[in-house]
Order: sequence, then C-alpha cells, then structure tokens
Amino acid sequence: MKRLSEQLKSAVRDMAYRTSLDQLKKRGVTQVNMVSMDRIVALIDEAVHRAVRHHLIGSEREQVIDATKEEFLRLMRNNEALENEANELRKLQGRAEDELDMLRRELSQAQQTLDAKLAAAALPAQARIEGENAELVKRFLETFSTVQDAAGTNIDQLRDGTLSLLLEFVEGERKQTIAATEAARNREIDLLQRRVTKLTSSLEVSEKRMVELAALKNIDPGISSIYRDVQGLDSQDALFKKKSALMADIFKANLALQKKA
Amino acid sequence: MNENDAGAEGAPVTKDHGVLYVGMDLGTSRTSVSASNGVRETVYSVVGYPKDVVAQKLLKKDVLFGKEAIEKRLSLKFYRPLEKGRLKFSQHDAAVEAENVRAAKDLIKEAVRLSKPRKDELVYCVIGAPAQASVKNREAIIDAARESVDSVMLCSEPFAVAYGLDMLEDVLVIDIGAGTTDLCRMHGTMPEEADQITFDVAGDAVDDELTRLIKEAHPDAQFTKEMVKEIKERYSYLGDPPERAVVDLPIRGKPTPLDVTELVKQACAILVPPIVDGLNRLISSFDPEFQHKLRNRVLLAGGGSMIKNLDSAIELAMKRDLGGGRVQHAQEPVYGGANGALKIAHDMPEEFWEKLR
Repeated sequence: MKRLSEQLKSAVRDMAYRTSLDQLKKRGVTQVNMVSMDRIVALIDEAVHRAVRHHLIGSEREQVIDATKEEFLRLMRNNEALENEANELRKLQGRAEDELDMLRRELSQAQQTLDAKLAAAALPAQARIEGENAELVKRFLETFSTVQDAAGTNIDQLRDGTLSLLLEFVEGERKQTIAATEAARNREIDLLQRRVTKLTSSLEVSEKRMVELAALKNIDPGISSIYRDVQGLDSQDALFKKKSALMADIFKANLALQKKA
Repeated sequence: MNENDAGAEGAPVTKDHGVLYVGMDLGTSRTSVSASNGVRETVYSVVGYPKDVVAQKLLKKDVLFGKEAIEKRLSLKFYRPLEKGRLKFSQHDAAVEAENVRAAKDLIKEAVRLSKPRKDELVYCVIGAPAQASVKNREAIIDAARESVDSVMLCSEPFAVAYGLDMLEDVLVIDIGAGTTDLCRMHGTMPEEADQITFDVAGDAVDDELTRLIKEAHPDAQFTKEMVKEIKERYSYLGDPPERAVVDLPIRGKPTPLDVTELVKQACAILVPPIVDGLNRLISSFDPEFQHKLRNRVLLAGGGSMIKNLDSAIELAMKRDLGGGRVQHAQEPVYGGANGALKIAHDMPEEFWEKLR
C-alpha cells in the first residue's frame, strides 16, 4: 500500500503545474487554500478503499485493488508517454519558430540586396549620361577655345566647328540607337523564330496525331463485297426460269410501291 | 483491304467499285443483316436518344441501339419503332409518328452500318417485311431505308426464308417473329394474298402470357418485360421439360428462386392453336391433289421456332386436326430471313436494281 501512496504522490506532482506568487498576483489571486501532498494522497487512498469496501468483499476486494493498481499504473505510463509526446511537439514548435525567424531574416537580407542591386543598376546609366554630357561640354569648350585662339576667326568657322561637333555626337548617338534597336529587333526576331520553331514542331505533332486519328478511323474501312458488279441469276441454276419469274414479280411489286412505274 | 494498301510486289492495289448486297430481316424484336461480304449481325430493334444534355454528355452519343440502349434506357427517349412486325404509326399524334419514323430510319442505318459496307461500294438491300404489311407501312420502310442504301426492295418475310432454302414449291413456311407469325404457302410462283396469313400471336404474345401466369402464381414477385423475355429465351419448351426452369425473382427486394417450368410451357403453348388453324386454312384451300405435299413440308423459321419441341407439338396438333403432317426446322432461325433476302438481292438482275435507284 505504501508503494501506491508514493505512486499517487508522484502522479499528483506530475499533474500539477508550477506557478510563481507574482503570476498568481497578476491573475488577481491574493489568497490560496493549501492542501498538502500527503493529505491529497491520503484522501484518494481512502476514497478508493471506501469505495472498494462498500461494493466488494473478501478476495474480490483484493483482486479489484490489484486490477485498479495495474490500471492506474498503465494510465500513469500513458500519461508519461503523452507528456513525452507533448515535449517533442513543443521542441518541434520551437524549432519551427527558429526556422521562421531565420527565413524572415533571410527575406529581409534578400530584399536589401535587391534594393542595392536596383540602385547599382541605375547608377551606370546615370554616370554614363553625366560622363557624356561632360565630354560634350568639354568638346564644345575646346572648339570654342580653338576658334577664339585662332587669328581672324569668323562666325563661319565657329558654325562649322559646332556643326561638325554636333554631327559627330548625333552620329554617335544614332549609331548607338540603331545598334540598340537592331539588338532589340534581333532579340525579338530570335524570340519569334524560336516560337515559330516550337509552333512548327507542335504543328508537326498535331498533324501526326491527326494522321494517326485518321488512320484509327480507317481501321475499319468496311469489308469488301465478294462481288464487283451485279450478279443476277446463274443461268445454270436448276430453278432459273422459276426464279427469274419470281425476281420479275418482286421487282414489279417494288416498282409499283416506289411509284416508279 | 484498304485502297491504299500495297500489293504483293509493292504496287498499289486499286479496287473497282463493288456492290454489297444486304439482306435485312427488320423484326419487331431483332433486326438481322446478312451481307455479301460475309458479315452477319443482329441488333435488338430498339433505339434511344439521350433525354437531355446531361445524358448526352454522359453517354457521349447522339443515338444508341440494341442492348446498349436497353441498358441505358433510363437516360434515353426510348423507341421500339416496330410493333407487330410493322412500323408504328400514330393516328392522333403527328409528332410521335415523326419520332418513330426517325427511330426506324436510324435503326435501318445502324443495321446497314453493321454490315460493314466500304465507302466506295454501292449497297443494294432487300428487306423482309411481314407478309401482310400495309402499303403505307411498306412505303414507310422503303422511305426509311432509302437514306442508307443505294437501292432497296421489299419482299415477304416467309417468302425470303423459303427462297433462301430453295424451297419454292409445295412448302408451307411458318415464320414466328416477336410481333407476328407469318404463314406462307409456296407453290412455285410469287405468293399472293390468299397464300399468306399473318397474326399477332407470336413471341411478344408469349411474353405477355408468361407475365400474366407468373403474376398469377407469384403475386409478390417483381419483374420487368425484359426479365420475362430472358426467361422465355432461356427456358421455352413444349412437351416434356428438358430442364427445370428455376429463376431468381425478387420478392420484396429479396431474390427468391421460383420454379416457372410449367408456366413457361403454358405460355409457349398459346402459339400452337392459331398456327394449326392457319395451316388448316392454307392447306384446305390448296389444290386437293397437292395438299398432302404441303402437309408434309412445313418449314418452321424465325426466332420463335427456337422453342424446344415446338415442331413436335405442331405435328401432334396437325395429326389431331389435319390427319397428320411433318414439320422441319429452318437452319439458323435468327438469320433465315436475312439469308433469304440476301439471296434474292444477289439473284436480282442488274437492270432491276438500276431502275429502283
């Protein structure tokens, strides 16, 4: 019986949850009723024995007590197993939360990298434009400086120099634009060609399937008659005359019926 | 062989246009075809059209025939276009009549399709019709057939059976179908009105009688017309029973074995008296000098002739009423009419076919 008391104690301890006084205060609990562990165990023990005494006698009682003990122990083991499972689940949940955090951090990093790359991608174009502008300004200034330094400069020289410079830049820009347009067009053509190739291939497959389907339909083209033309009665037939007359009668009846007389 | 098939030496073989002869027995219960390409097929004379779009999607067909139509009949507008060996006509409802004619056309088309004609072949068809079908009915059958064949002729069903067996003289043909029993006296020339008798005590009448008898003997048994037909086709007999006819029929939902042996015999027996009466009329009105020949050459044909011991039962009744007689079975009861019609189609001269095209 002592062993049962210990087991009951252990069970009550396992099933109880721990909490601090602060937590109780937070929940508005200022006073608690205390029952000692021994008292709870004694109460359960007493309740069990009373119930058993009330309902059973003699050897039956002992059997029931033993069976109850076994059942209690089995329940305890089950409870332990469930506790273990719950612990495992809690661990898994913790791990999943860690992974989620990690993924969030990775996503944030990826977003930052993307923003940086987009910014970086925008830079060269801006730099190129700024560089080209600077070059253009420089060349204009050089042209003006050359014209200014030269003796007997006139407006025609300035105009020619400016025009030449302008045409040079326009030519360069035009070449770049044409190259870019052609490149874009080539890409488009290439894409279209690949699509045409794919479509052609699909078409070939479809046509093949159509042919197969047509072939399937033709699996049963019908069975040829053994006759290539109308036979009529065999003149060697022993009943030729009689049958000829019968055929004529049938024909006449049908001719009348079909109103072709 | 396909037109594009290569010959033995690789050269393409071109086939001339051929002529496919088709003999058709357009029956109330079954439609049989026999063709000059060796094909012989039979289909139940029932046609079904999907009731609605849902049924059409489910069945994936616009029209169903034969056994398939019977099995799916709950999803179909179901037609038996022939009744008592003739196309059904409605006296009062033109729409019903039109639907029935359409079903008959589709049935004939299906029968021609079953004979597997090549696309490049002419199809010349002879259709066996009940001996005493009305002119209106014959015209309707011709019209229905025209859409499916290049040239068509009708002939009397029992005559076709006799012609198929080269029994053109001094023979009395009994053709028992589902809707009618046709008796035809053959005497070397085309049978006339007086040579033929048609009455509607036939396969369907046996079904009705068997239904009545089973209901009477087993009021709680549940069954359909199709189930009774199956029982008849499996167990029909006269004389001594060749086996016990024990069938499982549901009683309050529970399959229950019922012995219907005697009931089947009683139902089949209704065929004999009118047949013997018809034989009597045809024999007694024949040239007295040749009456004994007719009596001793009675040919039993059609699906109904498959009733076991029917020949003996008729002989017995003939002995009692006509002083004796001999009854013989036609070979292939189901295809006897179609085979005969095919033979007529084959023997018909070309100019006759051409004139009817």
